[in-house]
Amino acid sequence: MPDRIRLKAFGMLAEKIGADSLEIENPGSSEVLRLQLLQQFPALQSLTFRMAVDRKLIQAETDISAGQEIALLPPFSGG
Amino acid sequence: MEKARSPKNIFVQGPISSEKIAQSIANHATKTDIGGHSIFLGQIRADEKPEGKVIAIEYTCYEEMALEKAFEIREDVFAKYPLTCMHIYHSLGEIKVGEICLFVFTSSKHRKAAMQACDELVERIKAELPIWGKEILDSSATQWKVNT
Repeated sequence: MPDRIRLKAFGMLAEKIGADSLEIENPGSSEVLRLQLLQQFPALQSLTFRMAVDRKLIQAETDISAGQEIALLPPFSGG
Repeated sequence: MEKARSPKNIFVQGPISSEKIAQSIANHATKTDIGGHSIFLGQIRADEKPEGKVIAIEYTCYEEMALEKAFEIREDVFAKYPLTCMHIYHSLGEIKVGEICLFVFTSSKHRKAAMQACDELVERIKAELPIWGKEILDSSATQWKVNT
């Protein structure tokens, strides 16, 4: 299985990235992914966002395995 | 007898109509152990921003995660309060000023459990569900809503 992950972006982040879904090579961990994204999309540098791995919000650096779904979540504003 | 609960869809495309709310109240008439309902309705407010006045909010969500989380919140609140019923509906898509975008409905034997559970649900929905509102202004500019 190729070492790739699915990345989903929501709200303001999808606008800044220019897509709501991307398939990318697995960076191995959430922190490496974050740094990679900030470099690739400098517009994200001024934004606050959290990540979810397989639909669970992560609280600390988390390993990412192939096939997982990573989501980039701006601050929630439902209701 | 308690029945096993499973994740339910909470999302409604478009605004929540007053007919749906009335029907939902009517549906409880046969549940005669209920003594009190508590209802929260979230309505789109015409906020004045420096860039213009809000005329609508467009809601999007991370649906799979939101439904899993909503289920977890439901289970927590059911475990904490003696409720008979709980219903949560949140709009997606464009909701105009004055329209209803959130409907939370709790019922219990006695009022306090229904009121406290309803309040807790609204707070948790706003803080924990991956839903985003984009405010559409009368100047046709848009900006992302920030929850306070």
